[in-house]
Amino acid sequence: MIVFEFLCTLIGEHVLLRTIVGFVAPDLVELNLEHQWEKMEQKLANSLTMTVNEKKFVENALLSDIRVDGRRPFDYRNLTIRFGSEDGSSEVQLGQTQVIAFVTGQLVQPYRDRPNEGTFAIYTEFSPMADPSFEPGRPGDSAIELGRIVDRGLRESRAVDTESLCVIAGKLVWSIRIDLHIIDNGGNLVDAANIAALAALSTFRRPECTFGGEDGQELIVHPPDVREPLPLIIHHFPVAVTFGFIGKENIVVIDPTHYEEAVMGGSLTATLNTNGDVCAIQKAGGDGVLQSVIMQCLRIASVKAGDITSKIKNAVESYNTQRSLRKIKRHNPSSAVSNVAKHHAERLTLGANEVCVGNQSNEHDKMSERNSTTKGVSGGLASWDPNSQGVDADAWRDSLPCATPLDKYKEESSQVNPETKSAEQFSDTNSFASTHEATNIVSPEKQSKTLKDAVKPKRKRRNKSTSNAHAS
Amino acid sequence: MEAKPSSSSPSKFVDQLVVPGDVILDLSNMANQTLKLGGGLRQDGDSICAMKAGKLRFMKPNKYWVESSQKRYVPSAGDNVLGVVVDTKPENFVVDIKGPALAFLPVLSFEGGTRRNIPKFEVGTLLYVRVVNANTGMNPEVSCMDANGKAAEYGILKDGYMFESSTGLSRMLLSSPPHPVLEGLGKKLSFEIAVGINGRFWVNASQSSTVILVGNAIQKSESLSLVQQKIYLEKLLKSIQ
Repeated sequence: MIVFEFLCTLIGEHVLLRTIVGFVAPDLVELNLEHQWEKMEQKLANSLTMTVNEKKFVENALLSDIRVDGRRPFDYRNLTIRFGSEDGSSEVQLGQTQVIAFVTGQLVQPYRDRPNEGTFAIYTEFSPMADPSFEPGRPGDSAIELGRIVDRGLRESRAVDTESLCVIAGKLVWSIRIDLHIIDNGGNLVDAANIAALAALSTFRRPECTFGGEDGQELIVHPPDVREPLPLIIHHFPVAVTFGFIGKENIVVIDPTHYEEAVMGGSLTATLNTNGDVCAIQKAGGDGVLQSVIMQCLRIASVKAGDITSKIKNAVESYNTQRSLRKIKRHNPSSAVSNVAKHHAERLTLGANEVCVGNQSNEHDKMSERNSTTKGVSGGLASWDPNSQGVDADAWRDSLPCATPLDKYKEESSQVNPETKSAEQFSDTNSFASTHEATNIVSPEKQSKTLKDAVKPKRKRRNKSTSNAHAS
Repeated sequence: MEAKPSSSSPSKFVDQLVVPGDVILDLSNMANQTLKLGGGLRQDGDSICAMKAGKLRFMKPNKYWVESSQKRYVPSAGDNVLGVVVDTKPENFVVDIKGPALAFLPVLSFEGGTRRNIPKFEVGTLLYVRVVNANTGMNPEVSCMDANGKAAEYGILKDGYMFESSTGLSRMLLSSPPHPVLEGLGKKLSFEIAVGINGRFWVNASQSSTVILVGNAIQKSESLSLVQQKIYLEKLLKSIQ
């Protein structure tokens, strides 16, 4: 025993143990210790190695109100929001952090206790290429926490309207799935992921379903080229703003980079909307902070939330404009239309605020009211809105349950008549919207044939039917 | 390549971008010569082809190599790097030098180092060290002494802040003639800087704002051309006044 202890002090405990056990089971020992060393080395190599210099420096610099990348404590990094080619996909870049969001929808059975509400779920994936410490496979703690924060912001505040996602109460509802992929971890993943989710939800379009078939009971899901798909109803944008507390004095910084995240003592994420409602607050562990500090953070967060919301809305607007432009060009490539298209685009951008923010409604009974209200603002705009075409024809059809197909076409054409005539006057006045109920999008699509069509209803009917078949 | 069989015919790819697979020299045309191939090149029978993407460099009389810039560093002997201590063992310190494996710094490789005066480095200490040997598959070994056993400039770096860069930027900072942004800033501001070839550089100055300015300026200048760098430097210096 004594010899053993003596030897221990001389050599090194684990070395001695190794040599002793090495005689007994050499291979086992070798493997075990090597394996342990490799695992530890891997963990060390993967985690961010912060030097003591950096920690001290960050705290000192903050005392003079500057951060390592030159920002002030309450400045956000540059935010860029881009959209993919499909509806419902967005890419957000916040400084060096990059997040991609995809929104998809599926028809499923609703939950038993909520038979007339749709569902939505958030899935996060921390790609290993974003950070050396991200492992592929099951999401880790931080991934789950991020998913929970974004989910809470959207669900508890009822930002996404789930009742409008119901198709058949108790049987079929839309289930919206939001996938968040972290591409690059530059710090503050929560804020970037939240913005990406909001942007993707704003541009997502779900196919329109109507009842048809012989008895009117069969559900038809229309493909996007037959009927224009519908956007989701989003009441408000809950924006997450993250604060970091650095140093002993708990200096507050907003939007921490991942170096600052490694040195900060605690963090707080507040989710607010522009109306000043606090949707969610997350402070998981870390240093304690004073109540006054939290109130100050909330005040700052509401200001930042306003900025970010307006950025998201601008990005979504320009995306919608481009999307509509693409649709017009696709249906009518003639040059005569392109002028009208350009004019429409101008009108879109002019009146877009009112239309884009408030018009995501797919309820048929609301449609006409909305049209009448928005008509005053930019009647041509509302009547030209591609979203409303399918819905409106439907509302129209529903409102005439006993109308024969012929009657339907006749009435539609009669409505189209004044529509198309005034379509040429688009460029002149704003007040032509008074008479049309049926917001007819068909007219801009066949601008080149309008005059003739207006004169000859017979031909128009045929054109109307063909255009209905391939209408957006 | 060159039609006339001259004694030394540099490849026409010199100082140009090459990608893996490019054949830069055809040995069948050349007379008996000895060529020295550096990193990024490989001999395939009679042809020399590039293995890495980067600029092909040539130094007289016969040295060729490919210079590329990455975020990850591949350790090689003789490099001066900035390392961060991540662990202490009885025999050596474990240092992260941004390579595929952690490096070992023996506790005795300091000038006048004996068992009695082993320095105490806590986890997170920043060191300027020299790579002694770096064989693939093994952990590299670093040292705080130069080849003669003197301390030279190696050792612990106190205060300041460490910035990350790519290996290409580090090489540019260490090149002569000096990097224009570095030189220009040095004329106006006083700071000290230590550049590791592993894509890290450390800046220290009396004021935090100076450190941040210098570090960010150098990082931003990596993607600018020479002319743009001059313009950027002028604007920066004006805004300091």
